[in-house]
Amino acid sequence: MNGKIVARMMAIAGVAACIVALKGAPAQAQQEFGSPELIAAAKAEGRLVFYTANFAEIEQQVIKAFNKRYPEIKVEMVRAPGGQLITRVRTEAAAGKLIADIVDHSDRALMQPLEDLFQDYAPPNAADYNPDALISSKFWPRATIAWSIAYNTELVKDPPKSWMDITKPQYDKMTGQVFAQSGGTTWTRIMFERQVLGEDYWAKQAATHPILYPSGAPTADALVRGEIAIAPLLYNVIYQKKKDGAPIEIFFPPEGSPVNPYASGIPKTAAHPNAARLFLNWCLSKEGQTFMIKELGNLTSLKTAPAYPEGFDPKVVKVWYPKFDDYVKLHSAWVADWDKTFGYRQ
Amino acid sequence: MNGLAGRRIEVTRSGGGDFRRRVLAGSWVALLLAILGFLVIYPLLTLLLGALTDTNPVVDGFSLRHLSIANFLTVLVNPNVAEALFNTLIACGGGTLIAVVIGLAFSWIVVRTNTPFKGFIAAASILPLFAPPLVAGVAWTILGSPKTGLINTMFKWINLDWRVDFYSMWGLVFVFGIYYAPYVYMFTSSALRNMDPSLEEAAEISGASAFATLFSVTFPLIMPAIVSGMLLSFIVMLGIYGIPAVLGAPTNISMLTTYIFKLTNWSPPLYNTAAAVAIILMVVTGALVFLQQKVLSGRSYTTVAGKAYRPRNLDLGRWRWFTFGLGIVYLVVVVVLPSLALIVAAFRKFMFIRDAASLFDMRQYSLMHFESIFDNPLTMRSIYNAIEVGVITAVAGGTLAFAIGYTIHRTRMAGWRSLDLVSTLPVAIPGLVVGVAYLWAWIGIPGGLYGTIWILALAFVARFMPDTVKALSTSFLQIHRELEEAAWVCGKGVLGTIWTIVLPLARPGVLASMTLLFVLAVRELGSSLFLYTSNTMVMSVLLLDFYEGGNLGKTAAFSLVQMVLLGVLIGGANRLSRGAAQGSVARAG
Repeated sequence: MNGKIVARMMAIAGVAACIVALKGAPAQAQQEFGSPELIAAAKAEGRLVFYTANFAEIEQQVIKAFNKRYPEIKVEMVRAPGGQLITRVRTEAAAGKLIADIVDHSDRALMQPLEDLFQDYAPPNAADYNPDALISSKFWPRATIAWSIAYNTELVKDPPKSWMDITKPQYDKMTGQVFAQSGGTTWTRIMFERQVLGEDYWAKQAATHPILYPSGAPTADALVRGEIAIAPLLYNVIYQKKKDGAPIEIFFPPEGSPVNPYASGIPKTAAHPNAARLFLNWCLSKEGQTFMIKELGNLTSLKTAPAYPEGFDPKVVKVWYPKFDDYVKLHSAWVADWDKTFGYRQ
Repeated sequence: MNGLAGRRIEVTRSGGGDFRRRVLAGSWVALLLAILGFLVIYPLLTLLLGALTDTNPVVDGFSLRHLSIANFLTVLVNPNVAEALFNTLIACGGGTLIAVVIGLAFSWIVVRTNTPFKGFIAAASILPLFAPPLVAGVAWTILGSPKTGLINTMFKWINLDWRVDFYSMWGLVFVFGIYYAPYVYMFTSSALRNMDPSLEEAAEISGASAFATLFSVTFPLIMPAIVSGMLLSFIVMLGIYGIPAVLGAPTNISMLTTYIFKLTNWSPPLYNTAAAVAIILMVVTGALVFLQQKVLSGRSYTTVAGKAYRPRNLDLGRWRWFTFGLGIVYLVVVVVLPSLALIVAAFRKFMFIRDAASLFDMRQYSLMHFESIFDNPLTMRSIYNAIEVGVITAVAGGTLAFAIGYTIHRTRMAGWRSLDLVSTLPVAIPGLVVGVAYLWAWIGIPGGLYGTIWILALAFVARFMPDTVKALSTSFLQIHRELEEAAWVCGKGVLGTIWTIVLPLARPGVLASMTLLFVLAVRELGSSLFLYTSNTMVMSVLLLDFYEGGNLGKTAAFSLVQMVLLGVLIGGANRLSRGAAQGSVARAG
C-alpha cells in the first residue's frame, strides 16, 4: 500500500465521518429549513410556481441547488422584467387567477402596494436579517444585489479606482450607464450617487458622454464586446462573465456599494404554500445565501454574512442601503432630474 | 375595393331557396364577425379603454369613471413622440422601398428566368424570415457596429480606409429593407408562379423587349401582390421592436415601438400611455389600408383563367450569369453575413475581437453556449411548446383566414366590408401592447383558458390575421370567376365549388400563408410575454431571456437552433406545397 492510497482511504473515511455527523444532526437541519411537518407537506405538494424578476438562467442555478436537497419538489419558474411582472401579478390577482406560489421582485416600492395579496410568512432565521432590508413582515430579501464598477482589461490600461474616477475626462465616451427609469436597482444607484457622492455627481458623469442602456445585462454584454470600456454594473450580472474568462476586471469602489434587496413573498392564494415556504426557507437560510454569494455573486442581507463574493473586503467596502422612505418619495422628481441631466428623452 | 364588388359572385341566386340561402349567408357572416369580435374587437376595446383611462381594466373593473383624454393629449403634445413618429416613417418608408425593389427583382429572377441554381437560391433566401427581428438586430450589430463591427475589422485587416456605421438611420433603413425583402418575395413569387404567361407572350410577339414586357405587362398584372407586399412590409416594420432596439439605442434613435417598450418597461410601467401611443400607430396603419383599397379598386387582376397554361421561364442567354451573380450577392448580404455573425457569436466564448487574427483564433471557440442552453430543462420544453403553438396557430388561423378571405373576395354577402376592416385592424398594434390587451380581455373567461397553450394560439391567430388574410387574398384575386361559374353550371353547391375549384387552385397560397403563420407564431415575442405561464414557456420568451440576461453567445446559439429547426420544418412544408402547386396547375389544364 503506498502513501497515495492511504491518503485516499483517509479522505474517504473523513467524508464518511462527515456524512455520519450530518445524519446525526437531523434536528439541526430541520431547524434550518422547516419543521418535519412542513417538509412532509411540501413533499406531498411536490411542486410550486415561482414568479421572479431576476434572470431565468441565474434562478435556474438556484433551483438546481435547492433540488439537490429536495429533489421531490419541482420548481416551475415564470420570469418577466420588473414592470411586466407587476402588471401580470396585479391582473392575475384581480381576475382570481394568480398562479404564483412565490413572487420575487427587485423593486420593493412596486411590491409594497400589493402587500394585502400576501400571507404572513417569516423564515426560521428571521431574526438574523438586517432590518434595513425589510419593508414588511411579509416580504423577505431572498436576493441582495450590490453595485460595482467593471472595466474591459483589453481596453483600459489605466483603470479607475473609485466612483469619482469614472467622471474623469480621460474616460470621455468610454463609459456605459443604465438609465434611471429602468427599475429598483438602478434607482438605488442614482440615489446613492446624489446622496453620497454629491449633488453635482450626475452632471460630472453626464459630461463624459456615457452610452445609455435599458438594463444591466446589455451593458455587461457591451462591456465584454468592447463597445464600451467601463461601466457601473450589478456585481452578479458581470461576475458570471468574469468567471467564464471574459477580459473583465471588477472592483467595489471605496466610497460605498449601493445595495438593493429583493422582496419575496407568498400570495394568500398560493396553491402550494408549504412547498413555497420550504423553498423560501432554504433560499433565506445560511446554506441558500452562501450558495447565492459564492456561485452567483450576490451579497446577503443577513446581519453576519456567511461569505463574501470575490474581491469584496468587508473592512474596506461599505454597503449602502437606501432609506425606504426616500426610495418611495424621491423617485419621480429625482428620475426626472436625472433624465434632464443626461439628456435622456422621454 | 368597391369596383370589385360588381364582379363578385352572387351567392344569393334567384329561385326557391332564396330566403333560406339569405338566412344561411347572414348567419355565416354573423358567425365570422362574432369570432372576430372575440379575437379582435374585444381586446381592442380594452386597449382603447386603457388608452383613455389611467386604470387597469381587470384590476379596477371596466368602469368609465376615470375616462379622460388626458393621456392622449399628453402623448400628442410630447415632442419626443413626434420625433419618434418621424423617425419611424423615415425608417419604414426607406426600408419598404429597398424591400420591394430587392424582393420583386429576386422573385422575378427565381420564378420567371432560367437563372442557374435558382431553386437553391430561392430556398436559402427565406432563411432570414426564421430569425426573430431581435436576432436580426443582434446579427447586424455584430457586423456593423462602428467600434467593434466585423465589417470594420475586416476593412482594417485588408488596409481599406472604409468604415460602416449601422448605429444610424441609414443602417436602420438598410437592415429593415433586407430583412423584409423575403417577405415581399413570398407575396410576389406566388403571384408570378400563378400567372398565365400568354399575356407576356402577346407583348413579345407585338415587339416589346423583355425589359419592356416586364414593366408594362408582368409587374402591372401582379400589382395586387406588389401593393399588398409593400403595404404589409411597411406595416409590419411599423410594429418591429428588435431591430431599432438594438441598432437605434446606442445613438438614441427613438422609434414608436422602442418608445412604447420603454413605457411598459419603466418602473413603474406606463401601460396607459403606451396604449395611447399604440393608437397613433393604428391610425397610421388605418390610413395605409385605406390607401391600398383606393389604389386597387376598380381594376381586375385575374390571371388564372379557364385556359390551360404552363408557367414558362424566360431564356436570358448569357445574362443568366448576371442574374445568378445578383442572386449570390443577395444571398451573401441577406443570409450568409448575418448567419456567419451568429455562428461566430454562438461558438465564440466571448465576443471581444481585437483584430482579424483574433477572429480566426480557434482557441477562442467552443461549444460552451450550446452545452449551457441544453443543460437548461426549459430549453426542450420551450421548443416543444413553440412547435405545438405554431401548428395550432397555422391550422386554426389558416382555416379562419380562408373563410374570411373567401367571404370578402368571392361573395357579396352583407357585411363583407366590416369583415375586411376588422380582420385588418390587429396589424397596427405592437405585440407588447396587444399582449397586455389580450391578458386584460381574456383572463376573466371562465373555463381555464388562461395558463394553457390555447390562449397563446388564440392571440397569435388574432395578431396575424391580417398577414394571413392578405397573403391569401392575392390568391383569390387571381382566380377568375369563370372557373367557379363552370362548377355552378355543373350543379355544385358553394361548398362543393370551394372544395373542388377554389381550394385546389389557391392551395399554394393557402400553404404559403399557413407556413408564414407558423413561422410568425414561433417567432412571436411581444404577445407571448404576458400570456405564457410556467408550463407554456415558448422559445421566443426564452430567447428574450437569454438576450436580456446579456448572453450574446447563448442568444446566438439558441437562435441558430431555432433557425435550423424552422428551416427543417419549413423545408418539408415547402416540398409539400411545391408538389401541390404543380398538382393544381395540372388539374387546371
